[in-house]
Amino acid sequence: MAENLLEVNNLKKYFPVKAGIFKRTVDYVKAVDDISFAVKKGETLGLVGESGCGKSTTGRTILRLLEATAGEVIFEGKSVMDLDKKDLRAIRRDMQIIFQDPYASLNPRMTVADIVGEPLIIHKLVENKEEKNERVKEILENVGMGEEYMNRYPHEFSGGQRQRIGVARALAVDPKLIIADEPVSALDVSVQAQVINLLQDLQKEFGLTYLFIAHDLSVVKHISDRVAVMYLGKIVELTDKKELFKNPIHPYTQSLLSAIPEADPRKKKDRIILEGDVPSPVDPPSGCRFHPRCPKAFDPCPKVEPEFKEYGAEHFVACHLLDK
Amino acid sequence: MAEKLVEVKNLKTYFYVEEGVVKAVDGVDFEIYPGETLGVVGESGCGKSVTSLSIMRLVESPPGRIEAGEINFGGRDLTKIPEKEMRKIRGNDISMIFQEPMTSLNPVYTVGDQIMEAIILHKQVDRKEARRQAIDMLTKVGIPLPEQRVDEYPHQLSGGMRQRVMIAMALSCDPQLLIADEPTTALDVTIQAQILELMNSLKESYGMSIMMITHDLGVIAEVSDRVAVMYAGKVVEYTDVNTLFEDPKHPYTWGLMNSIPKLDKDVDRLEAIPGSVPSPLNFPDGCKFNTRCPLAEGKCYDQEPPLEDADGNHMVRCWRYKDLEEIKKRGERIYEDRGVQK
Ligand SMILES: Nc1ncnc2c1ncn2[C@@H]1O[C@H](COP(=O)(O)OP(=O)(O)OP(=O)(O)O)[C@@H](O)[C@H]1O
Ligand SMILES: Nc1ncnc2c1ncn2[C@@H]1O[C@H](COP(=O)(O)OP(=O)(O)OP(=O)(O)O)[C@@H](O)[C@H]1O
Ligand code: SF4
Ligand code: SF4
Ligand SMILES: [Mg+2]
Ligand SMILES: [Mg+2]
Repeated sequence: MAENLLEVNNLKKYFPVKAGIFKRTVDYVKAVDDISFAVKKGETLGLVGESGCGKSTTGRTILRLLEATAGEVIFEGKSVMDLDKKDLRAIRRDMQIIFQDPYASLNPRMTVADIVGEPLIIHKLVENKEEKNERVKEILENVGMGEEYMNRYPHEFSGGQRQRIGVARALAVDPKLIIADEPVSALDVSVQAQVINLLQDLQKEFGLTYLFIAHDLSVVKHISDRVAVMYLGKIVELTDKKELFKNPIHPYTQSLLSAIPEADPRKKKDRIILEGDVPSPVDPPSGCRFHPRCPKAFDPCPKVEPEFKEYGAEHFVACHLLDK
Repeated sequence: MAEKLVEVKNLKTYFYVEEGVVKAVDGVDFEIYPGETLGVVGESGCGKSVTSLSIMRLVESPPGRIEAGEINFGGRDLTKIPEKEMRKIRGNDISMIFQEPMTSLNPVYTVGDQIMEAIILHKQVDRKEARRQAIDMLTKVGIPLPEQRVDEYPHQLSGGMRQRVMIAMALSCDPQLLIADEPTTALDVTIQAQILELMNSLKESYGMSIMMITHDLGVIAEVSDRVAVMYAGKVVEYTDVNTLFEDPKHPYTWGLMNSIPKLDKDVDRLEAIPGSVPSPLNFPDGCKFNTRCPLAEGKCYDQEPPLEDADGNHMVRCWRYKDLEEIKKRGERIYEDRGVQK
């Protein structure tokens, strides 16, 4: 079995809710509330869940773009939480992020060469401008863009091309792990496949490891080796993708899978339609956070929080039904 | 088939902007029959919203203008009738819901006031009766505690509930046609499933027709009876939903279907359509898909193909749809194995 490149243990990220003229902290948004998982070298771990469940916060806290409230993140055996500024910068070379919105995440006043070359300069990977341009040219080639694009600006490109530039920038420093936060959600349907194929090609070529964040389960199924399902700040199920889609155990995963509209009009799905909306992470429900919407909830659910534990080989679930 | 409820013929809606003429909708034809759902699918900018706004006569003007064509509804051509008559049709006979309910709900009025306003305007009832009907509508669209919610403001509701309120408003006057422009795109999948189920059941109980606009082929498969696929301001394929998914005849439709991952089928590599949608100020000559089509050749570059009936009730706009048929029979992947030659 491959070794773990990244380990996340009991990670928590709470955002203070402030109120009143003195901006006192009155409460916390429990955006990520005690989650644990590992990403193996060379694999793609998909992280799915509905809007606001804490996917982006997880990604950003791992990179220390946000400081964790509690828990630890271990990258290649080293604790990321304990690093000082200098070591943090070094480790950021190995962990890169691609953002959802290819429009907002590129500086409109920088040329493509500068956008892709900036991390090379920050990390002092090139000596001079010629060397930088040489390297940028190579990287752009990797994402299927010619050198004629180097001196152009982001607004001259389509969404798919901009996302390629974002990928090129992440690749520039030769990272080991890429956290891709909804990298295709903002793209046109016909263009999403271009970027997905590109990410897969690059993974093969450079042996990259991905944490792939998305809300689209079909995309996650296509690209991932294993999948973690989040609900309201918690991971509720994590396993091999084939196992997850064939044998979902957690009632939330089951309803999520059944809710996806499939591009096959003859297929009549047995829908589990969930009642109500996702509750607020400020004051999440007691016990199992899913209990107010769960079609299978029973006695212990509102009182006791279910443990996240191994149900079968490498299949982790947090649900009281397993003890029933 | 029954008599048509709506018939759109050669509709052209253009925008006159500084840089030139945006031919947002450039010769669109389709019909909607009573009680059916017509799905309209296509990528961003292909003209889906402008088509629906044209039917409602809500195109921003200037810069926009219905340039040509007919929209026949109830024996009248909606492009020709005076605004006063159109106002009676809007909300009464045809109503519309939008992608982002927050932009179409007024934040300073309670949801009850907004539904009541629609009811009072169209049904000539007093406030008390309107309030009763508003609560009744909120119940029908599955809003819990309707007597309490009726006095709340839009920002107090979740995205899914706002969309339910929009549906309640749209249906409060018993329209014959409901136009839904990406009604679930901004919602989570579990909430989307609720809303789609709600729309399907309301369609049955109200016997209305729905024009469902979306870019999601899954949603199309789920709700449509017939489908129009749009690309660059035109309908490129038009047939019933089963035929479309079993036998797509246009290279673009074929590409769209094979570029999305499927839950029940694993492929190593998706078939990606190369390039991106051309700018409407800068459409190519000939077939508008020729910059991305792996089958493009000779005639495709200078002559626009007509929307032609391929085999009884299956319309397709492509010079080479028969060749695509052969390629499909041989089981080739048309995008991955070919690439675009130029
Ligand atoms: N800087 C912040 N301050 C306060 N609350 C925040 C902050 N960032 C995120 N949150 C809250 O934390 C929760 C989780 O947000 P997050 O962005 O991680 O969700 P997500 O799963 O990525 O959602 P989406 O699918 O919409 O991107 C949400 O309730 C969000 O409102
Ligand atoms: N008020 C306007 N002024 C100028 N151009 C416009 C205006 N409204 C729409 N357009 C243009 O008309 C074309 C079609 O737009 P439309 O909104 O119908 O696309 P759409 O298919 O609904 O796309 P989306 O999926 O993004 O909603 C686009 O190129 C758009 O830029
Ligand atoms: S613990 Fe109870 S409420 Fe939670 S998912 Fe399991 S059955 Fe449902
Ligand atoms: S007409 Fe030509 S370019 Fe257009 S879709 Fe058909 S083969 Fe492709
Ligand atoms: Mg996010
Ligand atoms: Mg639109």
